[in-house]
Amino acid sequence: MSDQHDSEISVVIVDDHSIFRSGLRADLDPDLRVLAEAADVDSAVEAIVAETPTVVLLDVHLPGGAGGGGAEVLRRTAGRCPSTRFLALSVSDSAEDVVGVIRGGARGYITKGSSGAEVSAAVRAVAGGDAVFSPRLAGFVLDAFGAAAGEQAEAVDELDRLSAREREVMRLIARGYAYKEVATELFISVKTVETHVSSVLRKLQLSSRHELTAWALERRLL
Amino acid sequence: MTRPRDCAVSGVSEGLAEHLGWSVAGVRWAFALSNLAGGAGILLYLWLWALTPLRTPEGRDSASAEAPVQRRVPVPTLLVDLAAALAVLSFVAILLTGSTSILALTVPLVIALALGSIAWSRYVDVPLDPEAIRTAFLQRVGVGCGLVVLAFLVALISLQPGAGWLWLLVVVTAASAAAVAIGPEALTLRRQTAARRTEQVRDEQRAEMAAHLHDSVLQTLALIQNRAGASSEVARIARAQERELRDWLYAGAQAVERDLAADLRDFAAALELDYPVRIEVVVVGETSELGTGEVAAAARESMLNAARHAGGDVSVYLESAARSVDVFVRDRGAGFALDDVPEDRLGVRESIMGRMRRAGGAARVRPGAGGIGTEVHLHLERSEDE
Repeated sequence: MSDQHDSEISVVIVDDHSIFRSGLRADLDPDLRVLAEAADVDSAVEAIVAETPTVVLLDVHLPGGAGGGGAEVLRRTAGRCPSTRFLALSVSDSAEDVVGVIRGGARGYITKGSSGAEVSAAVRAVAGGDAVFSPRLAGFVLDAFGAAAGEQAEAVDELDRLSAREREVMRLIARGYAYKEVATELFISVKTVETHVSSVLRKLQLSSRHELTAWALERRLL
Repeated sequence: MTRPRDCAVSGVSEGLAEHLGWSVAGVRWAFALSNLAGGAGILLYLWLWALTPLRTPEGRDSASAEAPVQRRVPVPTLLVDLAAALAVLSFVAILLTGSTSILALTVPLVIALALGSIAWSRYVDVPLDPEAIRTAFLQRVGVGCGLVVLAFLVALISLQPGAGWLWLLVVVTAASAAAVAIGPEALTLRRQTAARRTEQVRDEQRAEMAAHLHDSVLQTLALIQNRAGASSEVARIARAQERELRDWLYAGAQAVERDLAADLRDFAAALELDYPVRIEVVVVGETSELGTGEVAAAARESMLNAARHAGGDVSVYLESAARSVDVFVRDRGAGFALDDVPEDRLGVRESIMGRMRRAGGAARVRPGAGGIGTEVHLHLERSEDE
């Protein structure tokens, strides 16, 4: 499948429910080409490495492999297909699942209740190198980095705190603003908003704040 | 016939005296004397103790076990004292008579009394306050040491020629001392282990069921929402079901405190059932605010407005900081200008803005970003004394 055009976005759908896979496949915008589907960890790793799609729609809960689910797929494909980006799909709101896949390298997280158009938009954003933040995820980030409680100043490491601008962006996203609306509200370009969001994602992935996971586990908030 | 809760030992004598119209002392003597007829008194006493109910406390409709029974006689102490006296007496008797045969009767009796005192404070009259617990513990230590001394003394005697079966008493006494020392702990430990195992099995079952439902029902509900379109009735019902199931699966059985966040989430769930709307509630920070306050009422009113007039997707964002609470309610409906709303319509002006003003906060209604829909912002500074 190396004959794909540069502009075309190719997708691999990883989910253990065949009804959900076929439903999603039918709902995705026609210009997103679905290369393969996989139902468990092992076949997912195989398919992703073989097809090297632009985007992988990855269910958080997957059978097979060592039982690690979506996070295990991320771990096992890491480094083997650097151009592929991952978008986590989940029916679960539990923090351990979502934090697991985001810290594993997924570029965003959306719920399975999202419509085909929403998923397609998210796939495009991820393919373009952006991060996909749901309001929930933004709220989680604000909470986990202690933005509301005002403990910001204590963190010394740059990775452990959000800049004032990043905080504003996260707050607006948590309020349900789209990137474009955030840009209008803050008088900045959409591109700048995307940069801020990507930087927050990077911090979320790399921050060593041990509170992060502990906090998420304790609250089941995501 | 009932036993009074304020009693000497068990209330049997007092209850019986009241029932028969005799004096309490007379009943006690009757019990004591009837023991001459082959121990009938003690048997009758125990029989009455087991079968007579405690008196219903006044002012209550049922005999609740919570009302404590006040005993005037400290039974464990009495038993310990009896045991000690008996032990001392039997050794005095040995010194006087030179015969050790009395030990066959007294040592088992001493052991029975000692164990009885321990059992009493573990099963009959469990000490509750720290002082009583300490006393019971010291008593147990004392009883244990006493039994060890007794075993030692009996062992000394049994070493003499012609003692014969006395070694049996040494063994029994030593075993009772050991039972006093570790028995209660061992029993507690066993009970705790059993409880833990039950808890563990229950957790495992729950986790298994949660995993199964997660893989089947939640997926199906997500699919239904996905296929039916976000605001359709089917999708709304599926979403409500999903929320309920999720709460049940993951929140567990513990009661959730009624704070502002929980209140807004519940209200959002109720609105989703009644209106074609999908409300996402995002909460940041610890909410100490109660769900009954002015902020909650104003936020509910804003959410109701959004659901009723705008529909579609509504975002609710609640941020609690140390000194302030902010609530944003954002819809994507047709929007409206506050000036266009007639004076007599109380919804926005009174229920939201007026209410927040009276509570010492502020409310702002403005068009959403890009002129789409409406956003209500509620802000309240916490007062200093909180």
